[in-house]
Amino acid sequence: MLKWIAADPAEDDVLSHTADFRLGRAIHLDEPKDWWSVLLEIEGSIDAFAERAAPLAEDIIIPVSYDSEDREAPASRQPFVLFARQRAVTAFNYEPEAFGILSLLLGAETPARFLDRHATPPPMTEIPVSDDTVVMAVIDDGIGIAHNLFRTGPTTSRVQFAAILEAEPLATGSHASVGRALSQQDVEHLLTQCTNGAYLDEDLFYTATGQVNYLTQVFSTVALRRSHGTHVTALAAGYEMEANVANRPIICAALPARVVEDTTGVSFLPSLYLAFHMLVKQARRFKTSAGRAPVQFNFSYGNSGGPHDGTGLFAMLFEHYFGAHTQCPQKAWLTLPAGNSNLQRLHAQATGAKTKLDLDVLPDDRTTSEVQFWTPFNEGREPMPVQVTVETPHGAVSVLGTTDTMSQRLIDEDGREAARLSYEFIGAPVMRGLFTLNINATASHLDEVLAPSGTWRLEITRDLGQKPIEVPPVEVWIRRDETLPGFQPGGRQAFFSNDDYERFGAFGLPLPVDPKHTTSPIRRAMTISGFACGQAPITVAAYTEREEVVSLYSGAGPLNRPSSPQASDREGPDMAAKGDDSFVLPGVLSAGSRSGTIVRQGGTSVAAPRVARAASSAIAAASGTAREWASDPLRDDPHGITRFDLKDGTSQRTGSGGYAIAVQDHLPRPDAER
Amino acid sequence: MPRESGYSGYSGYSGYSGYSGYSGYSGYSGYSAFGGFGGESPDAALALTTNRDGIVSSKLDKITFPAPGGWDDPETIKRLSPEVRAALYQSELAPSVEVTASLSEAGPTTTVWRRMGRKQGGEREVKMVEMTAPDITQLATQLDYVMGYAQIRTDRLAEVTAQIGLSEPFYATIGYMGPDRTPYTLALLDAAAAFSFTVIQRTKFSLGVKRPIEFSPQVQPMIPTPTHATLPSGHATEAFMIARLLWKLLLASKAPQYQESYWGEMLMRQASRIAINRTVAGVHFPVDSVAGAILGLTLAQHIEAEVKGTQWTSSSFDGPAFSAKEDFNWTQIYDVSDDMMFPRMEHDGCVWGTSVADRKGTGQVSPILSWLWDKAVSEWADIGGAG
Repeated sequence: MLKWIAADPAEDDVLSHTADFRLGRAIHLDEPKDWWSVLLEIEGSIDAFAERAAPLAEDIIIPVSYDSEDREAPASRQPFVLFARQRAVTAFNYEPEAFGILSLLLGAETPARFLDRHATPPPMTEIPVSDDTVVMAVIDDGIGIAHNLFRTGPTTSRVQFAAILEAEPLATGSHASVGRALSQQDVEHLLTQCTNGAYLDEDLFYTATGQVNYLTQVFSTVALRRSHGTHVTALAAGYEMEANVANRPIICAALPARVVEDTTGVSFLPSLYLAFHMLVKQARRFKTSAGRAPVQFNFSYGNSGGPHDGTGLFAMLFEHYFGAHTQCPQKAWLTLPAGNSNLQRLHAQATGAKTKLDLDVLPDDRTTSEVQFWTPFNEGREPMPVQVTVETPHGAVSVLGTTDTMSQRLIDEDGREAARLSYEFIGAPVMRGLFTLNINATASHLDEVLAPSGTWRLEITRDLGQKPIEVPPVEVWIRRDETLPGFQPGGRQAFFSNDDYERFGAFGLPLPVDPKHTTSPIRRAMTISGFACGQAPITVAAYTEREEVVSLYSGAGPLNRPSSPQASDREGPDMAAKGDDSFVLPGVLSAGSRSGTIVRQGGTSVAAPRVARAASSAIAAASGTAREWASDPLRDDPHGITRFDLKDGTSQRTGSGGYAIAVQDHLPRPDAER
Repeated sequence: MPRESGYSGYSGYSGYSGYSGYSGYSGYSGYSAFGGFGGESPDAALALTTNRDGIVSSKLDKITFPAPGGWDDPETIKRLSPEVRAALYQSELAPSVEVTASLSEAGPTTTVWRRMGRKQGGEREVKMVEMTAPDITQLATQLDYVMGYAQIRTDRLAEVTAQIGLSEPFYATIGYMGPDRTPYTLALLDAAAAFSFTVIQRTKFSLGVKRPIEFSPQVQPMIPTPTHATLPSGHATEAFMIARLLWKLLLASKAPQYQESYWGEMLMRQASRIAINRTVAGVHFPVDSVAGAILGLTLAQHIEAEVKGTQWTSSSFDGPAFSAKEDFNWTQIYDVSDDMMFPRMEHDGCVWGTSVADRKGTGQVSPILSWLWDKAVSEWADIGGAG
């Protein structure tokens, strides 16, 4: 029988409850030597941190992609990624002050065989390029770097740098602390090595790059016919080999697709941060006669969690490197997808004094589930009291308020934890309270306590005082937890299931926007990806071409307001591009994993790189910011982009509207021709 | 009657269809098209009998004799039914080899002997393929490959199931083949497959190497594991034998487009894909494909030598010398541009395979097989271009 108890104070004073909860799962218990990727925000320089963490030197690896300049740079608050053994993570989480750690985000378990403590930094020699060059930087998973659309000949590549985060390091001469870093020369050498007669043996090539090794169970989706990263990269930067395109060099980072079967809620954020850092450094190598070549980034990733106001950890990433304060001498734009969770019932709004939410946690969910309750922005005042009540499907009730200091833990007779309800106040720039409900898997092959599947009843109670209408809502998001087909962890997405949520309209079609005057707390509004809320990036929604409508899944604004002065001023996505050919032909065509193949894939993930392609033609001449360009991409020379009128576009769903962007002839349906 | 021939036993290989799917035979149905009437039905027999009664008339006084029957004359083959022809081809190929087994310190060894000079008198047997099984620890290491390849099963599902039988459609998508266009090529490939089947099965039986499913309950193959032993892979043997035979036909056709190596390379890539798909399915180790490719490529050369009396190839596979951490890679075994197996196949200096390509042939042509071969070659000749 499971019951809620207040946590033991000695066990509850942690920086990240989510990290603590995950490390307490059966699969990680008593594994102090396991390695993890961790995103820290620290006070002071990385070198100063390393000094403070000297007693744990054997248990941490600071990636070589942080060069001496990075390591010495002082900062009152700076994010950086490192690899740490579990015992070091625990030390950081329990004694953050001793290490100068301000926040901690646990990433993915990373087997030691992927790490290389002895790697040396990659060469940083300048790469002279023509003045019309724009560097295309892509972070994704499963990037088929040998595809003919990324080559200029059978053995010549446009890929100038590729970080393969999920690969076993080279035995000698490694230039990456995790996985492998391949230079253009490395790629071309492997292309030559793996070309047999007239054909490139791509199975052999991806074994040689370390992306696939069936013997050691290293796997990338480049082994499959369709891989996300190949499709996305070709939309952003693919050109026919024969066109011999020299002014769109590619730098890319392939994230781990499924390093391990970690079922505790892997976060890609540390990997994203590290990959971004690697690419930022590489991008600086490209020099035109006028200085550094502009760089166009694309990350086709999203997440449903976060404060959704532009102050989240990911939102701040781009600001950290390219924000106005950095005076970075390189022009950089970033495209991001708006996310695909519009209809997934992952978001709810607690507007009144009491809001009830039904949370359906599915059976046979082998991964943890997480719900985040973000209280309104405080601006330094005493937080408005909020209470969250959680009742399990079996009727065990727990209550936690903003003034409570101890977390609530759902435990079995042996004290093993099945769920945790915790509260913390997230300081500047977020300045919001955050309740987190972590729920264990509902199925497992291990000897561990399972959380009950079924409907968990959540209640948010607030004292609204005299003027309830002026009090902003508590915003609730369920963290994305769906395992994509072909991947192993076996996550099943929990969702809100209140009866009053209207899913369908009068004619049976799903309703893409919340009905006016709805009483349901479950909302399609504010389903924009938590990653895509920042000030600088171009956030891209998806439309369905034939029906001329916003794709039903495309995440929408507005953002969570009021918010910090450092927050973003966006209303939602900046613009929309094609995500689907039609209702019956969802997705768009682009490169398959193997040269000469084309496959279909959809979502805002494929809309974003299309915009990246168009933006790369505008970035050099544009006088304003990326988002200023996105607000009217036809203003200057449009470079293969035309307006696409949407029947149902709104500023919160599609920003400045829909745009048809020509990709190129390799795709059988040139998009600009309607 | 063909059933009286000494090789009538081979008619039993319709039973092979469960294994290597001689669906090509069904392609012959076009030959026997009597429409809706004919064959051996009682109805037809009665009709023909009463019909004769109606028109036969009295015995003719004088008839002109036909020429005497042909003696071992290949020209008569064209009037034979497909089944009879197939039996004739086997009558030539089947006695050309013998398979023996021995046990030494190195483990079980199987030898495929080439029977030379049997038509000229002075028959002798010469080693053509010698194959030694890998040991159980090597296979246990190779099991990791099987588990790794299992990750792409969903992606390969259609191919794996379509390739359970003989994979002629997969070659027909490269070379322009079909029962109407290239019946002799298909008959040649079917004859080769039927011939190789006994060699494969005897070799597998002698080496007795266990299947992946016997090593771990987690293999869970996506198709039923055949009852016979795992090494050499029958699919790899057939696939590479067919690929090389087709490549030989293309070259022999003298059609200008088919002289380019990229045709042969694509055929080998196809063979490799078929072989690897068996590992994906969970029924073979990669090393099975290595042994199968060596056997298949050698048998292809042997068949050509039997047809034309030309050079043949001997080869060996030394299982214990094969590094268990290595995957199957056909480019270590065969060179398309020279149509030749490599003399040494090795990993880091450790030789696990050898071949000698220029073994002296008998110089004797097989009229029956040569008839088939030449007709198959002619199916690939380029036509047109006269304006």
